[in-house]
Amino acid sequence: MGGGSMNLLAIESATNLVGAALVTDGDSAAERSHQGGRMHAESLAPAIEEVCALSGLTVRDIDAIAVDTGPGLFTGLRVGVATAKALAQGLGLGVLAVSSLDILAAGAREEAGPGRARTVVVVVDARRGEVFASRYHFDDAVSGMDRAVDPAQARQVPPELVTPDGLAESLADRDHGPGESLLIVGDGAVRYRQLLSGVPAADLGLAERLSSPSPLTLARLALRRMAAGAEPSPPTDLLPDYRREADARINWEQRIPPPGTTWPSP
Amino acid sequence: MTTHPIPSIHRVLGIETSCDETAAAVVDGGAVIVSSIVSSQIALHARFGGVVPELAGRAHVELLTPVLAEALEAAGSATSGSGIDAVAVTYGPGLIGSLLVGVAEAKALALAWDVPFVGVNHLEAHLFASLLEQPDLGWPLVVLLVSGGHTLLVEVSGPGRYRLIGGTVDDAAGEAFDKVARFLGLGYPGGPAIDAIAVDGDPQAFAFPRAFMAEGYDFSFSGLKTSVVNTVRKHPDAATEDVAASFRQAVVDVLVAKARRAARDVGAKALCLAGGVAANSLLRQRVEQACAEDGIGAFLPSPALCTDNAAMVAAAGWWRLRNVGASPLSLGADPNLRLVPTA
Repeated sequence: MGGGSMNLLAIESATNLVGAALVTDGDSAAERSHQGGRMHAESLAPAIEEVCALSGLTVRDIDAIAVDTGPGLFTGLRVGVATAKALAQGLGLGVLAVSSLDILAAGAREEAGPGRARTVVVVVDARRGEVFASRYHFDDAVSGMDRAVDPAQARQVPPELVTPDGLAESLADRDHGPGESLLIVGDGAVRYRQLLSGVPAADLGLAERLSSPSPLTLARLALRRMAAGAEPSPPTDLLPDYRREADARINWEQRIPPPGTTWPSP
Repeated sequence: MTTHPIPSIHRVLGIETSCDETAAAVVDGGAVIVSSIVSSQIALHARFGGVVPELAGRAHVELLTPVLAEALEAAGSATSGSGIDAVAVTYGPGLIGSLLVGVAEAKALALAWDVPFVGVNHLEAHLFASLLEQPDLGWPLVVLLVSGGHTLLVEVSGPGRYRLIGGTVDDAAGEAFDKVARFLGLGYPGGPAIDAIAVDGDPQAFAFPRAFMAEGYDFSFSGLKTSVVNTVRKHPDAATEDVAASFRQAVVDVLVAKARRAARDVGAKALCLAGGVAANSLLRQRVEQACAEDGIGAFLPSPALCTDNAAMVAAAGWWRLRNVGASPLSLGADPNLRLVPTA
């Protein structure tokens, strides 16, 4: 990080929460986010402008960029990744890509504390009756009671696209220690709360509060990864992690603007 | 948010991602193309016979960084944005998932370089394409804008001064070409495929219907498309060349007749073509002929400016910044954005 302080901008848009956070070496932090209404394109750039202003900085003072590359909402991911790529290209910086599931797992550790968040299941709504899910086990022997351990090191089941039924089944089948609970978070946990509450030892108490990855959690996780030696990638290499094949259907209707006309000024 | 005109803008970076072309260009003073890069996704969509929205959105994200780098390099501008005074982007109409990629990119660049950001109507940008090659066309003009997504007749009485004369009530002209080409097994995009094979066919072989719709200015192509399908089913041995030539003739007859009448009624100094279908050889030939007969100018932009490109976006953005002002960073994409008079 050299002698000066590092200003890291985090861009979050993988779920219906869109926002930005700016952290300066972990000391000072500013965050702005907007939830609901599919306002990704509208909200993100103003949020970036605001977190810079709140920190008394300009966009040119940003030294590092981190972005949630998913999995999550395709359109949301494209807005976030396109923004991160262009900012990085325009500022001559690289970008650190972070998984939405890792951010939610890190958020669970921050929110619940190591005791309650020993085993964390992150469930992100993938629409069409499916979810993106990953399971983390934070082994105290490895991580101690450290809230700051990187979820990537605790990942037991890599991110997968599954049906909620399939997920509930696999969670019910696994062996778990006596008294151990499964902390289940993410907007998929909210949507399929009823089904997942049937899983033995399921703890859905934080599902609402941790329904979306938070920009600030992303910023802190990225800062820790960079301190541990993670290298940002050039903007060309940065792409969303869709984890689902593109739906190859032509929507002719989308291309035909209805006849007749009004044209509001931009 | 109130905006105000910004008179001191010179070089504008334009970005275009409304459909299946990822494009970036630098234009000086709204008139001189300094660089213009277009990366087409035609090959990606060809096997589907049309643009697949999700594939297009994904491809735009992959292409935006190299296309921008190339456009800036060709303009002699570092990626630090030195020498770029503003960023313009198409924010509609088009595919929502594609538009959002360009809008996000343009805003981020405006933030990084601390320059104004302006959203541009894709249809207005097509109208500016003609001014890029021929700034002294004289007013008023009638522009026939024909592409895969649009079919419009517009009166232009000056930069930024438009009146919509007519539009399609169903398929766009280019869409009709795509659908018929797909039905005939000629590949994608349909316009060039039909244009190529029609040369060897008899345009009188089949009397396909011309939808003049009681002599209004609106267009309809879905009945024609259905007629082609029914005819081929009834005459399975019909030569594809003859079907293609007769279909092309029917489309062009209607386009030219209505555009010509509009130009006459408006008292236009010239008739301009814009949009991808403006590259159709028969349409170009017939428009030229009609304008010569009527004693008005015919302006047929080069194919690179007919199809989607970012130079026209930069030119339209330059004009908007000087005459209307910048757009707020909260601007979203509008897939159904329409063309209305601005002055």
